[in-house]
Amino acid sequence: MAWPHVSDQFVGEWRDGVGLFVYPTKRFKTVTIHAAWIQDLAVDRRAVGATLIQLLRRGTESLPSRQVMETRLEDLYGASFRADVGKLGDKQILSVHVTVANGRFLPGRPDTVGQALDFVAEVLERPAMLNGAFADEVVEQEKVLLKRQIAAIINDKGQYAMSRLMELVSEGQRFGLRKLGTESEVDHISASTVTEFYHSVRDGAPFVFTVVGDVDPDTIHEYFSSRWNSTRQPLATIDPYRGRHDGQTVVESGDVRQGKLNLAYRTGITARSSRYPALVMYSGILGGFSHSKLFLNVRERASLAYYAYSRLDSALALMTIGAGIEFADYEDARAIIQAQVEAMREGAFTDEDVAYTLKAYANDILSEEDSPGQLIGRHLEQLLVGGGLTGMDLIDALGKVRRQDVLEVAREVELDTVYFLTTEGKSGHGE
Amino acid sequence: MSWQAIGEEPVRETLDSGLEIFVLPKPGLKKTYATYATHYGSIDSHFRRPGSGERVDVPDGIAHFLEHKMFEKETDPQVFERFAQLGAYSNAYTEYITTTFLFSATSDIQDCLETLLRVVEEPYFTEENVEKEKGIIEQEIRMYLDMPGERLRSNLMRALYHKNPVRLDIAGSVESIRTITTEDLYLCYHTFYHPSNMAIFVAGDVDPGRIIDHLSTLEKRRALKPLPSIERIFPEEPAGVAEKRVEQSMPVSTPLWLMGYKDGETGLSGRELLRHDMTMSLMWNLLLGSSSSLFNELYQDGLINERFYAHYSSASNYAFSALGGETPDPERLESTLTARLPNQALRQADLDRLKRKEMGEFLTLFENLEELAFAFNALHFRGIDLAEVPTIIEGITMGDLEEARGRHLTESARASSLVIPTPMTGAGGFR
Repeated sequence: MAWPHVSDQFVGEWRDGVGLFVYPTKRFKTVTIHAAWIQDLAVDRRAVGATLIQLLRRGTESLPSRQVMETRLEDLYGASFRADVGKLGDKQILSVHVTVANGRFLPGRPDTVGQALDFVAEVLERPAMLNGAFADEVVEQEKVLLKRQIAAIINDKGQYAMSRLMELVSEGQRFGLRKLGTESEVDHISASTVTEFYHSVRDGAPFVFTVVGDVDPDTIHEYFSSRWNSTRQPLATIDPYRGRHDGQTVVESGDVRQGKLNLAYRTGITARSSRYPALVMYSGILGGFSHSKLFLNVRERASLAYYAYSRLDSALALMTIGAGIEFADYEDARAIIQAQVEAMREGAFTDEDVAYTLKAYANDILSEEDSPGQLIGRHLEQLLVGGGLTGMDLIDALGKVRRQDVLEVAREVELDTVYFLTTEGKSGHGE
Repeated sequence: MSWQAIGEEPVRETLDSGLEIFVLPKPGLKKTYATYATHYGSIDSHFRRPGSGERVDVPDGIAHFLEHKMFEKETDPQVFERFAQLGAYSNAYTEYITTTFLFSATSDIQDCLETLLRVVEEPYFTEENVEKEKGIIEQEIRMYLDMPGERLRSNLMRALYHKNPVRLDIAGSVESIRTITTEDLYLCYHTFYHPSNMAIFVAGDVDPGRIIDHLSTLEKRRALKPLPSIERIFPEEPAGVAEKRVEQSMPVSTPLWLMGYKDGETGLSGRELLRHDMTMSLMWNLLLGSSSSLFNELYQDGLINERFYAHYSSASNYAFSALGGETPDPERLESTLTARLPNQALRQADLDRLKRKEMGEFLTLFENLEELAFAFNALHFRGIDLAEVPTIIEGITMGDLEEARGRHLTESARASSLVIPTPMTGAGGFR
């Protein structure tokens, strides 16, 4: 099969749980290969998924140790290789990716892309095993490292606070689960459970393979079809949040120098909705940029914070707001933030706010296209959410949003949960 | 490796005022990224007043404070607002020896450049706007105080250095910034924000001739002439370290450990500095890079994780190596490293391969405009031409590495920093 010869856009298809997408372009001097298995984020699977990802970095049949693998990557002109656990809504994304310098700019014009494809294929299909299973010793080493990584969430206070907020919002629903699992879940993993899990994921999990760079889509298609051609489990798109907290407030304390205030709002709108562009404009005017209301009022006018922002979760129909503040300023900062949300409801934004926000988004969205990683990320998100606009289509749709549309969205946004991480001796449940 | 071989055609120009301009056309990219940087950073708090020659000592953290205040103007439109009108993203950052102002935009590049010039060229400090900024910067400093990795680095610098101002945090302290006045700010501005101490970098889908003409026309209006070089005053730094070890307890899950070697060989600039810097970087890559035997042994022992790093950092007035990361057993890691580093075999085959990796990474650098601008400025203000990097790397020999190791890894120049976990509080751990 020959694909249409276009450039600077994704070509490919997604069916029977398998996706292959290629973005041919001359803009980049590197080629990025990204492969992802997708599964539901669930208590009985997340930790073993995270363990598997660690094991994929420990060697393949022909590159049997971490050290040999790293040596191979350095030989490939310092190709970067990552294996990551990601999360979007209630999905866990198990991915590997390699970025390699395109051989045509290197002395002797080596075929770096072909070699990088082989590397990725081997990592996915033939990881290093001993008698048909991951080696006990290696599994135990990686379990220890994974447990440390799980515990390390408290090292980043902003991320920790945001993760606590999502746990409170979700009340045990899958989207609130942390992506790596818990230390005790990791304890229960053995070489045989992770090997069994690997086979089930390799053979059955929804799988997306993406290549960005100066490559020929037909060549990639041929390479892909000769290796991954089976039917897999279909991918269920992400369910939005349907909870209903009435502004519940939780204050917790720890040994911190700065308070972290985080708020979650229900929006009722996912990226699939025709009203999504209006929601994007709403959030942008409120807190997306340095001209936005939150930044201007919390930081510039009141000097209460260094950062204050709002962000959308396009899959879950949630908006979160975050600010780092002095402990004593909790009431003031919360009042200012809620007043800005209220002001949006009352239509207290100008045509200028709308115009600036539109331009800022256009800049962000176009700039994503200069980064292979961001191009792949937004494309994958679109698949998992089950639709929605990206790139120029999204910019055009944002341009058509009317003031009335933003107002309607503003009136439907509802406060769900507030979380405040403060210093010792100030915890308790508020309100 | 020539510019042509890697497919890049940079254009440079020095204006009558002494301002240096570097433009890199990147056809096909959506985004244009530009920086306007000054050779002035957190370590430049002691200098001679131009003209009178009188010694001046200003509060720590003033370069960073000045960076914040450059965004406030006497006349409207304010620069943030103007960038918002143009749909551009704008920001700035301060380091030890540089302060950099930047924008990233996908349209109206000439207008954005004019606005970037306004950011840097129109100081406006009042008692009121300086006071207001203190609250914001205080929150920024507190945010860093909660970041274990930042504390780890900051404490190491304090251990390594007795007097050199690199021992101080770039943003200063909550106490030092409270004493900053408008007079201090104007004095530092007029001393260091002169075109002959600055450089502009532009990369994107632009016509270099037009960019340079435009900047040159704008700069002619200021009719400035190059100034003699600024006399910066640095204290005499003793050879040994200030403290062998600094410890701090914080809410982290696993100890963080960082070891440093102070390099007494300072005073280099230009090609000598680059050669010394690249020699040290290659030495650390061979000894402790992710393909090294030592790294992989430590990893399998569970003493380090894959984020462990070792790198060298230098400028004319300071130079040091730092290596470390998260570890369950800092004592054992430290004793293993100090025993093994001086004797670990360095192999020619590894050097050849790592040079290839550096070449690949040099090529990849041109893909990420932010990183490229960062590298350009860092090298430029150290008197180094970016184009020389590949040739210098090529010329480094095993003999250079052995000599560098022998000189650098001495016990009197070594110190370590440790962040240890505080006992958790409350029933639910960090709550």
